[in-house]
Amino acid sequence: MEENKNIVTFREDDFVLVNQDKRVTDKKLETKPTTFLKDVFKRFCKNKASVVGGIILGILVVLAIIVPIISPYNITTVSTPEAFLAPKLFEAGTGFWDGTRSREHVVYDTVNEVPAVSDKYSIAALKQSIVEIKIDSEPTLIDSANPYGQAGVAVIATDSKVDNKNAVMSSKAINFDVKNEYKLDVVFSDENGVSSSELGEYAVYLKSDDQVIMLRDFSKDYSPLSVDISALIKEAGLNNFRGSIVFEVISSASNFQYILLESVVISAGEFASNAEDIQKVSFTDATKFVLISDTADIGYWACTGRKGIHNSEIYYCDYVFDTYELVYGDADVVTYSATELQSWIDAGWCSYDYKVGPESFVRLTDDCPIDSVESQTLKTVTKKLSSIDGRGYGYRKLGYDEPPKFLFGTDVSGFDLLKRAFAGLRTSLLLGVCSFAFCFPFGLVYGAIGGYFGGNVDILMFRFTEILGSVPWTVVMTLCILHLGNNFGTFILAICLTGWIGTAGRTRSQFYRFKGREYVLASRTLGSSDMRLIFKHILPNGMGTIITSSAFMITSSIYTEASLAYLNLGLQGKQSFGVMMSSNQQYLAVYPNLVIFPAVIMALMMISFNLFGNGLRDAFNPSLKGSE
Amino acid sequence: MGNYVLKRIILAFVTTFTILSITFILVKLLPFERPIGGDTQQIAYFDKQVGLGYVYRFETEQFDYGDLLYKTPTENGRAFYYYQVPVMTQYTNWLKNIFTKWDWGYSKDYQPNVAATVIIGSRIGYSIRLNIISVIFSVPIGILLGVWAALKKNTMTDHIISTLVMVCVSIPSFVLISFILKIFAYELGWLPSTWPADTAATAVKAQGYIIPVFCLSFGSICGYCRSVRAELCEVMESEYLLLARTKGLTRRQAIMRHAMKNAMVPIFPSILAEFIGILGGSMILENLYAIPGIGKLFITALKYKDYDILFVDMAIFTTISLVASVLLDLSYSLIDPRIRVGAKK
Repeated sequence: MEENKNIVTFREDDFVLVNQDKRVTDKKLETKPTTFLKDVFKRFCKNKASVVGGIILGILVVLAIIVPIISPYNITTVSTPEAFLAPKLFEAGTGFWDGTRSREHVVYDTVNEVPAVSDKYSIAALKQSIVEIKIDSEPTLIDSANPYGQAGVAVIATDSKVDNKNAVMSSKAINFDVKNEYKLDVVFSDENGVSSSELGEYAVYLKSDDQVIMLRDFSKDYSPLSVDISALIKEAGLNNFRGSIVFEVISSASNFQYILLESVVISAGEFASNAEDIQKVSFTDATKFVLISDTADIGYWACTGRKGIHNSEIYYCDYVFDTYELVYGDADVVTYSATELQSWIDAGWCSYDYKVGPESFVRLTDDCPIDSVESQTLKTVTKKLSSIDGRGYGYRKLGYDEPPKFLFGTDVSGFDLLKRAFAGLRTSLLLGVCSFAFCFPFGLVYGAIGGYFGGNVDILMFRFTEILGSVPWTVVMTLCILHLGNNFGTFILAICLTGWIGTAGRTRSQFYRFKGREYVLASRTLGSSDMRLIFKHILPNGMGTIITSSAFMITSSIYTEASLAYLNLGLQGKQSFGVMMSSNQQYLAVYPNLVIFPAVIMALMMISFNLFGNGLRDAFNPSLKGSE
Repeated sequence: MGNYVLKRIILAFVTTFTILSITFILVKLLPFERPIGGDTQQIAYFDKQVGLGYVYRFETEQFDYGDLLYKTPTENGRAFYYYQVPVMTQYTNWLKNIFTKWDWGYSKDYQPNVAATVIIGSRIGYSIRLNIISVIFSVPIGILLGVWAALKKNTMTDHIISTLVMVCVSIPSFVLISFILKIFAYELGWLPSTWPADTAATAVKAQGYIIPVFCLSFGSICGYCRSVRAELCEVMESEYLLLARTKGLTRRQAIMRHAMKNAMVPIFPSILAEFIGILGGSMILENLYAIPGIGKLFITALKYKDYDILFVDMAIFTTISLVASVLLDLSYSLIDPRIRVGAKK
């Protein structure tokens, strides 16, 4: 043990005072101090989805404010020619978002070589607007007379099963004189294809007031008929015969009877005086024949039975057309009066001298609706200018300086959907913010009083909100709108009537949470008034949560506004998102862009608001700190 | 407990009565709307109103009763004059009609002079059927999704489900209906684009249910999924579940026997409430899909300014929402033994 003994002795100068000549101060914190708001912001930024939501929301709000201001297009005066333009972002022909529409299975007008659509547009304009067209190689056979159909066979049928009600089709009386050579060629068809009737017995004859010359007696012979009429007339010992060609189909009690005519051709020598009549009575295209004889005033053929068409050929096409070209493209020649022209000259848009003629036209500014003058008309007596025929682009006539481009297309009234959507969104946001501005303070104070005082006051106050809150919002809104009309003020009032309840409830629960805390008690012991306790001590702690949760009221009022429009109670007198959407709903099948674009905006708005709001609410909730 | 239930039910009755009274008075304060039809219809309607006590009938012209509503064509030198009864008198008459005869008034133009109860009765079936079917679909799907997301918490599956639910909850119903109609009814043509007529074939009628049921259950599926996930996540972190695992239960056993039971406690009452509450939510759907339910009736009545029908319809919606909230309250306390609502401290 002895050797383990180790005696250490310290002397005074072994010790040195560490900070002998130094000042001892607190070290400055190396981390930066943070405030509550900075902390909230930091935690909010960690939540990526919320940040994205916030950015999208911000963009939408900014667009809602600026688009209605900077967009030059009109959304107030109806312009029917511009209705239903397709959305356009790229130039036509790029195939995507380029202002074109495709149509499938449209009747093709073989004469004008355009799809047979409404006659609202000229053939030239239609032709120009077509980007791509695919015509069926095989014609479709139809059994109805279509103006764009051709060929086929004419059906002459009895329309009664009673005997002796034969179908008689007779031509206009024609003068056959023997000096000319008249021949009749008829081609029949024996195809058995007409439903619920059968090929019947018929005859063909010439009939004058007092005489009948049989060309083919009653039979079921459907071979081509070729007769020399002149010879037959001569045979009958006549020089002149004035009468009609008659086809008669015998009726039958068992079934409807019919014959099929492919063509009826009367030919005459070149000296025939009635060549025009003969030509009109002849037909080779059964479709045209059926269509023409349908009109009473021409009346080259009259029929007592049913006449129709079988196997008329019609072509269908699929095509893509540029809606903008159709409306704003090179327009047809339009006649303008001299006074109109004078007003343009006076305005300095163009110059023109009628004494020189159309070549003298000079376009001076972009305001001038025409590009060139095709021809002019002078007054007969004074030889002054009466009118000009001018050619110009459609967009100039519609008052644009350059062809417009509607990003979302246009609606039934020719309004720019983009501008309408954002103008509507602006109204909705305004509605949301206004009602929030009214409801929030009220709900806050109401909830604070109830939550702070508790007891009977609380029970009474919240029994009341419970009753009010259980009335469905549709009932509240409907009654308000019926009494006060559907204007902006009513909407705010109706939303506010029940809108504050949520805020009040949230404030109350926050008060229940904080009012028993020690710092409140401490302040109370120091003699603080109720007002001070409420507004200085309790409220600031719960404020973040209350505000962020209550802000969802803005989305719900946007939703309410839109829903009401679907219940036919939409906001009037202001651009409204809901009214726009619900009125476009009927075009969903034909013009889906009218519904889809606003729907996407609405959904985007709601999603981003919810993402943003949820993130903000979590960030403001101190109890969630560190849990993420 | 029984005391509380009784109190809650009585309170609900009082509330319903108050709201209906206020609604009735507000509706009656609206300008009087005359029927559109000719004299026979006018007379029939006004006589019904006289019977209900909402309109006075006189044989001479009166000057103390406000504006003349209607004057019958003069016959044998006699004509009837109709005037509106003061609103508060109408209110007492209304109470009398309801409590003594269960008479809720008559339609004006929608189905002239048919009792409101008959019209509602003929239409409420569609709404109820639709809602029952959509609840049957949405509850299992919603709960399953929620459980799945909770069990896979903080994995890709959970994130995908939660994001989808978040997005779907945000999409307004009319937007959703538009998209569904566009895709399945117009583009693909698989489903009818409006509600099939009653005379349609059974297959077509069954197809007609698909779009509305989907649209109605969509929101509730998301709702259930969200609340089930939240509840289950909370339970999964509780100490008793840790105890269950430490005493040797497998994860599956612990979840099935302990976690699920507790997580479902707040869910079941909300299913019950939803069962009733959803009735009021289908108004836009009924309008867009032309379903002849009470939601569509509301809009039709509004169009015709047929206020008696409108009032009865509103009364139904109000009553439904009140009943739902009472049921929610009561079932909470019945199912969850931890909650003793209304118990003395």
